[in-house]
Amino acid sequence: MKFLINPNRFNNFSNIILKPLIYLSIISLILGLVFSLYLSPNDYQQGLTVRIMYIHVPSAWLALLTFFIITIYSIIGLAFKISFGFIITSAVAPIGATFTLICLITGSLWGKPMWGTWWVWDARLTSVAILFFLYLIIIFLKKSFTNVNIGEKITAIFVLVGSINLPIIKFSVDWWNTLHQPASISKLSTPSIDPSMLRPLIIMTIAFTLIGILVAIIRIKAEILTRKLG
Amino acid sequence: MHTFNSIIALIIREFKINYRNFSDILSIFLFFLLGIVIFVFSIGENKEIFNEIGIGIIWTLILLSNNLSLRKFYQDDFNDNSIILFHISGLSYEIISLIKMIIIWIFIQLPFFIIIPLAVLLLNIETSNFHIIFLSFLIGSTIITCIASISGSMNLLNNKNFAIGSLIIMILSIPVIIFSVSLINVSDELIKAQLNILLGFMFFFLAITPWICAACIKLALQSK
Amino acid sequence: MLLVNNIYFKRNNRQIINNVSLSLSAHKIIHLTGNNGAGKTTFLKIITNIIELQKGEIYWNGKNINKHPFYFYKNFTFIMDQNTSNNSLTIDENICFWRRLFSSKRNNKEIDSILELLSLNHLKKTLINYLSYGEKRKLELSRLIIEQKKLWVLDEPYNGLDQISINLVNHTLLNHIKLGGMVIFTSHFSPDIPNIENLHLDNHAHL
Repeated sequence: MKFLINPNRFNNFSNIILKPLIYLSIISLILGLVFSLYLSPNDYQQGLTVRIMYIHVPSAWLALLTFFIITIYSIIGLAFKISFGFIITSAVAPIGATFTLICLITGSLWGKPMWGTWWVWDARLTSVAILFFLYLIIIFLKKSFTNVNIGEKITAIFVLVGSINLPIIKFSVDWWNTLHQPASISKLSTPSIDPSMLRPLIIMTIAFTLIGILVAIIRIKAEILTRKLG
Repeated sequence: MHTFNSIIALIIREFKINYRNFSDILSIFLFFLLGIVIFVFSIGENKEIFNEIGIGIIWTLILLSNNLSLRKFYQDDFNDNSIILFHISGLSYEIISLIKMIIIWIFIQLPFFIIIPLAVLLLNIETSNFHIIFLSFLIGSTIITCIASISGSMNLLNNKNFAIGSLIIMILSIPVIIFSVSLINVSDELIKAQLNILLGFMFFFLAITPWICAACIKLALQSK
Repeated sequence: MLLVNNIYFKRNNRQIINNVSLSLSAHKIIHLTGNNGAGKTTFLKIITNIIELQKGEIYWNGKNINKHPFYFYKNFTFIMDQNTSNNSLTIDENICFWRRLFSSKRNNKEIDSILELLSLNHLKKTLINYLSYGEKRKLELSRLIIEQKKLWVLDEPYNGLDQISINLVNHTLLNHIKLGGMVIFTSHFSPDIPNIENLHLDNHAHL
C-alpha cells in the first residue's frame, strides 16, 4: 500500500503494472465499444441516440471519482504533510477536467435529439458544468503562483473548500431546478435499467477507469521526474 | 487586557484608513450603479422584464462588485509586513481576519442598504417586501464577505493571475445567489425553509473562514 | 535569554540554514553577517517564530517558543525589512496605533522627545505618504523605544539613514545593552560599537 504515498514505491509499482494495464485498457475499451454499439438494444423512446449514454455516464462517474481522489490526496498532503499528495493532485486534475468535458459534450450531443436544444440547464448537467469550472480553477490556481510549494498548498486548501461546497452547490442547483423547471424529464435518472443496457455500461465504466488510471500513472511519473529535476 | 487594547487599536486603525480612502469604496458602489445602467441599455427599458429579473440582476451585480474588494482585505498589510506586527502584539491570525471581515462588511456592505432601494427604484421593480430583501441581503452579504476574505487570503502571493480571485468568489457564491434571490421571489410557505438554509450557510462560513484565512496567511508568510 | 539550537531550514530544495546555533543573554549584542541570499532575513524570521521551524529548537527563558509563542512575542521588538507604517495615516496616528497595539507605557512627553531626537517632530501631522524612505525608517526604529521590550531584533536597521541617525542608533543600542537588554541585528557594514559578537551565515556551511 506504500506505493500510494511514496513516490519511489509508486515508480516501482507503476513500472510493473504499466504494460498489463495498457493491454487491459485496450481490451476493455474494445469490448465496451462492441457491447455498446452492437450488442445492446435500441431504446424504445430514443432509438440509436441512447448509445451516447455509454460514454456520457461513465465519464460523469469518473469525473466525480477523480474529484474524490483529489480531495483525499489534498487532505493527506495538508494534514500529514506528505508532498506526494500534491503531486497527485496536480497530475490528476487535468484528467478529471477532461472527463468532465467529455461528459458535458456528450450530454450536449445527447440533448439535441432528446430535448431539441444543445444545452439545457437541468440539475445534473448544471452540476457537471460547475464541477468543470472547479477543475479549471484548480488547474489555473496552481499555475498562478511562482513558488511551487505555496501554490500546491493553497490549491489543496481550495480543493477542500470546493469539495465541501460541491454537495452544497448540488443541493442548491437541485432546489433551483425544482423552482424553475418543474416539468423536466430526465431519462438519466431512471432507477430501473435493463441488464442488456447495464452490461455495456459497466464494461465502459471499467474501460474508462483503466484508461484514466493509465494516463494518471504516466502523468504522475512525469510530475515526479519534474520535481526531482527542479 | 492587552489583547483587548490591541483589538481596539486595530479597529481604530482600520476605520481611519478606510475612512480616509473612502473614494476607493465609493468606486465599488459606482461600479454597481454603472452595472445597473449597462443592464438597462443592453436589455431595454421594458418594465415587465425588470419586474421578473430585476432582483436577480441586483444580486449578480452585488456579487461582481464584491470581487473588487478582494485586495482590500490583507494585501496591503501583507506587503508592508504590518500583519506580522498585528500577530506579534498578541492577536492570533484568526482574530485578525475576523476583525478585517467585520470592518470591510461595515464599509462595503452596509451602504448597500441604501443603494439597493435606489437600484429597485431605477429599475422600476414593483415590490412591497423590502424587509425580505434587506433580510436576504443581510445574510447573503455576510456570506459573500466571508468568501471574499477566503479568496483574498489565498491570493496573497499571486501577482500574476488577477482574475482567479474573482473566479473563486464567484464559484463559491453560487448557492448564496440561488437562495438569496429565490428567498425574495418565492411564495410564503417556502420562505422559512429557505431562510433556515441561508442561515445555515452563513453560520457554516462564519465558522470556517477565520481558520482558512489564518492558514493561508501563515502559508503566505512562510514563502514571502 | 534566547537559546537557538541547531536550526535547519530548507526552501525550494535549497538548504538555507544549515545547523546554526546561538545564545543571547543580557548585555549581549550579535551582528549577523552574510552575503546576499545567505538567509539572514529568513533566520531572523525563524528565531522570532514568524516562519515555522523545520528542525531544531528555540527557547526563550527556558520555554519553547513553538509551544508558548505569545509569551515569547511579549518580549521582543522586531524591526523588519519593510516599514510597517501605513501610508494613509500620519506619523502621529501611526505612533498612537503602535502605543495602543503594544500597550506601551510611554507618555506623550516621552514620545515627543523621541520624535524630536529623530528630527521628526515637525512632521508629526504629515501623512507617511509624503515622507522620504529614511524618515519612514527612522519612524520604524522609534518602535524600539515605544515598545520597551528586552530583545531587539533588527533587520538592516541602518538602511537609508544619514550619519546623524546612524550615530543615534548606535548610541541607543549601546544604552539598551548597558541597561540589560539584548540585540541581534543584520547589517552589511560593521557599526562602531564595542564588544559585538559576530555570527556569519554561509550558504551550505554552518557556524
